[in-house]
Amino acid sequence: MELKQALIIIITGMLGTVGFSALFRCDKRRVICNALGGALTCLVYVLCCRFLDNLFWQNFFPALFATAYAEAMARAMKAPATPILACSIISLVPGGKLYYTTYYLVTSQEELFHTTLKETLLVAAGLAVGIICISVIVHEINRHKFKQIFDVE
Amino acid sequence: MQETDERYSEKVLSLALDLGKSMVRSGAEMNRVEDTVIRIGYAYGMKKTEVFSIISVIYATVIDSEGKTQSQLRRISSMSVNFEKLEKLNDLSRRICKNKPDPDEARRELESICVPGKKFNIIVCLGYMLGSASFTVFFGGTLLDAVASMPIAAMIYLMQSFIKTQGTSRLFFTALESAAAGLAALLFVHFGFGNNADMIMIGDIMLLIPGLMLINSLREMLCGDMMSGLLRMLESVLVAMAIAVGFALPILFWDYIV
Repeated sequence: MELKQALIIIITGMLGTVGFSALFRCDKRRVICNALGGALTCLVYVLCCRFLDNLFWQNFFPALFATAYAEAMARAMKAPATPILACSIISLVPGGKLYYTTYYLVTSQEELFHTTLKETLLVAAGLAVGIICISVIVHEINRHKFKQIFDVE
Repeated sequence: MQETDERYSEKVLSLALDLGKSMVRSGAEMNRVEDTVIRIGYAYGMKKTEVFSIISVIYATVIDSEGKTQSQLRRISSMSVNFEKLEKLNDLSRRICKNKPDPDEARRELESICVPGKKFNIIVCLGYMLGSASFTVFFGGTLLDAVASMPIAAMIYLMQSFIKTQGTSRLFFTALESAAAGLAALLFVHFGFGNNADMIMIGDIMLLIPGLMLINSLREMLCGDMMSGLLRMLESVLVAMAIAVGFALPILFWDYIV
């Protein structure tokens, strides 16, 4: 991937994140945090595309990063993590692949349809597993904390 | 005294459920909502609070200090993501658990958060346009494509805020929006406004894809809320299929139209 293309991806990814922050009606104070998350996630994505050639891992690591970023920022800013995650991960969502899957289906290009469908599912799986990996850890930590609170009561 | 007590637990229960309902409506996960309802119940001194929720229903029972039982149910029929409101609701529930204000006072605060916003919000509309334009370029479109995707994004926003009524099936409506957006993109390119119809469509697809729903469903399943998680997962897959069907129609019939 060329440098110019990588820069376009990072910048448009960041702008897209800002757009979605408005779409989800985020708090105005969070927009910068979301935009940074979107840009960094795209940076990780670009790096992964450069060094890995498996579609699953290319999306797994950015999703892992975005979730960790959202959870960390949520702790730092005392805000829920889901809004930050939903905005920063948006550029990884396989909208393009979904389009081409549909396109090849209706133009009856069987072969291409099968490969893109498989790719779409692979990307979605990469994202899901990435999100789950971090969320499980955070969830366990939180549960541990709650347990202590309830024990005291 | 007994009657006021009964009124008290009723007030607490309806406050907790209304807060929970507003949270679901603005885009919270179900386990967060259940957690909130239980915490509010305990904060107001209920002996026991039980809550069950799936994506469209919250049902809760409280047993007060005298052993009297109260149950109420809330039905959630429509959703509109609003994270600012969600954060305020979160803050409110945290304050309720900490300061234990009078239920009436807490309800007044809840109502002041939940005032319905304006139907047309220019910033949200600009967000739709910026989002679609950015992703058009992100997936390889030209600048002209980005500009062409903007009016389509505005159209999607207007459809979502004005035509959508409670009765309309979400799947059907998503397919309709997608079909309209696809047709508009093909028409734009046909008349020379835009270079690649596919890139314009992809930019607008990104607005419709249920990404937040998918994230919420994963989180719900992780926290052991299988029922909500699976239902939401199924719903988001169906919505994605509705988008595909919607965009397929104009592509399919384009050759006959022109």
